Amino acid sequence: MVGSNSNTKLRLSIRYLIAIVLLVIMVFPYLYMVLNSLADWSQVDRMLIPTKFTLRSYQWLFTGGETGITRPWIHAFFNSVFVSLISTALMMMFAIMVAYALAKLKFRGRDSINNFVLFHMFFPAIILIIPNFLIIQKVGLFDTYWALIIPKAMSLWGIFMYTNFFKAVPDAFIEAAKLDGASDFKILYKIMMPMSKSITAVVFLFLLMERWTELLWDMIVVRSDGMLTLNVLLSQMFGPYQAYPGPMYAGAVMLTLPIIILFIIFGKKFQEGMQFNLK
Amino acid sequence: MDKNNNRLGWLFASPYLIFSTVFFLGPLIWSLYLSFTNWDLISPTYDFVGFKNFTKALGTPGVRSAFWVTYKFMIVFVPIVTAMSLFVAVIVKGLPKLKSVFLIGFFLPYLSSGVVASLIVKGFLSHTSPVQTFLRERLGLDIDWLGGSFSALFVVAMIMAWKFTGYYALILTSGLESIDQEVYEAAAIDGVKDSQKFWKITLPLLYPAIYTTLILSFGATFGIFTEVYQLTGGGPNYATNTWQMEIYSQAFKNLQAGYASAIAIMAAVATFVSIFVIRKILEMWGKRNGWV
Repeated sequence: MVGSNSNTKLRLSIRYLIAIVLLVIMVFPYLYMVLNSLADWSQVDRMLIPTKFTLRSYQWLFTGGETGITRPWIHAFFNSVFVSLISTALMMMFAIMVAYALAKLKFRGRDSINNFVLFHMFFPAIILIIPNFLIIQKVGLFDTYWALIIPKAMSLWGIFMYTNFFKAVPDAFIEAAKLDGASDFKILYKIMMPMSKSITAVVFLFLLMERWTELLWDMIVVRSDGMLTLNVLLSQMFGPYQAYPGPMYAGAVMLTLPIIILFIIFGKKFQEGMQFNLK
Repeated sequence: MDKNNNRLGWLFASPYLIFSTVFFLGPLIWSLYLSFTNWDLISPTYDFVGFKNFTKALGTPGVRSAFWVTYKFMIVFVPIVTAMSLFVAVIVKGLPKLKSVFLIGFFLPYLSSGVVASLIVKGFLSHTSPVQTFLRERLGLDIDWLGGSFSALFVVAMIMAWKFTGYYALILTSGLESIDQEVYEAAAIDGVKDSQKFWKITLPLLYPAIYTTLILSFGATFGIFTEVYQLTGGGPNYATNTWQMEIYSQAFKNLQAGYASAIAIMAAVATFVSIFVIRKILEMWGKRNGWV
């Protein structure tokens, strides 16, 4: 018995060791990014773990550095925050509304809409890029915040997730609330939303992350420097600023950190939500 | 189905209905129409050219490569990401403590932007980087990672694998957890060896979760854009030229809107048919083994 006990202990330690090694490998690129953003410029991309550190890259990023060009990094950051938060809020709001109708309101045409949403969701979106760009241009929204927000205000996946979740909520809750004289808006707001906190964390994080890191669409619908999102700005600086790798890493940290912080804040709810999501 | 519910249902669903009319159905018809014209995205007039765009597209190296590159990505990316996520899931599942900390940690790469991932990889593989210096000075290998057709494809596939492994591992872990431990005990009594446990019990019972990750990973290969745009621009010599890359270049660089629309339609058809076939094959594979 003693032998088998120490055997399982050994096995477990090996398991932990492998898991830790794997995790370090997976997270290393992030660590490499952060270290390089803080490294002395003579060491950027020259050492796995830099030894001399400086804040010069961040300083450069915010002032424009020796090139004398003041690049709108801070402005781009705020554009990203503004556009992502509003788009995500709209996506969430519409997804919840539409999903409530599809899951809990019995109305004529519901099944057709449901099927259409599924068809739309699995339709290759690539075909729509050119005409959607043209719509934005024709109605005069090219190079505005509207162009970044409106076409990205609806998430089919969000509708799909909430519809499935709401379907699992027993009708008895809703009927009881109706007997008490609650309106559908009130039911949605006071009953359905509090019940779906963990699924909301999952949907919110996935949608925000996707919006935050969108490249193709944001790249084609805005042109002027003041309109660029951080992801697009970083992408544009990619080639010409190869001579300044340090600041590029600092920009990458600026783009990555907010989403990771949010993810860690919502970590617990996210896990609960994933459990439901995967069942 | 009272009248009130009818009105309310349509009211609640109306944001979607309006949106899908403006940004899905309308554009779909417009795209079909454009694909038969020679419009250049700028001039006010354009001509109807019939199927000319489609026949022209079939002969160009850009479109041919876009078609094949997707499947080449699949061949490299899908096995790697599946093996990696399965390995992570199996390792993490048996941990009594800190399991969720590990899973969250593995999930982090999924949150990174393709631009950031490309930036890191570019720095990592640059001439002066520690990795390259080591390979050159110690092993005598001077590899131009993004300059070789297979290595460029491989690098992009590895970035994708890095990004998706944690996400798929999460799906597979919850699949593993839904397997009843008693099945293993019963199998042990029936004389199933430890070495066979994975193939005879785990894999069959995990099939639904594996099916999900496979569909997701096959689907992901059709949407590759950012990493390729950032690192190789579709090169070298079209070796990493994906559908999205080709459509972007034709529409927004060469300003061939009509021609690009035709390519987009071909891409959509290729995607739709491929995913459908892949689903059927996976379902057949599961049925033949009696897993579903």
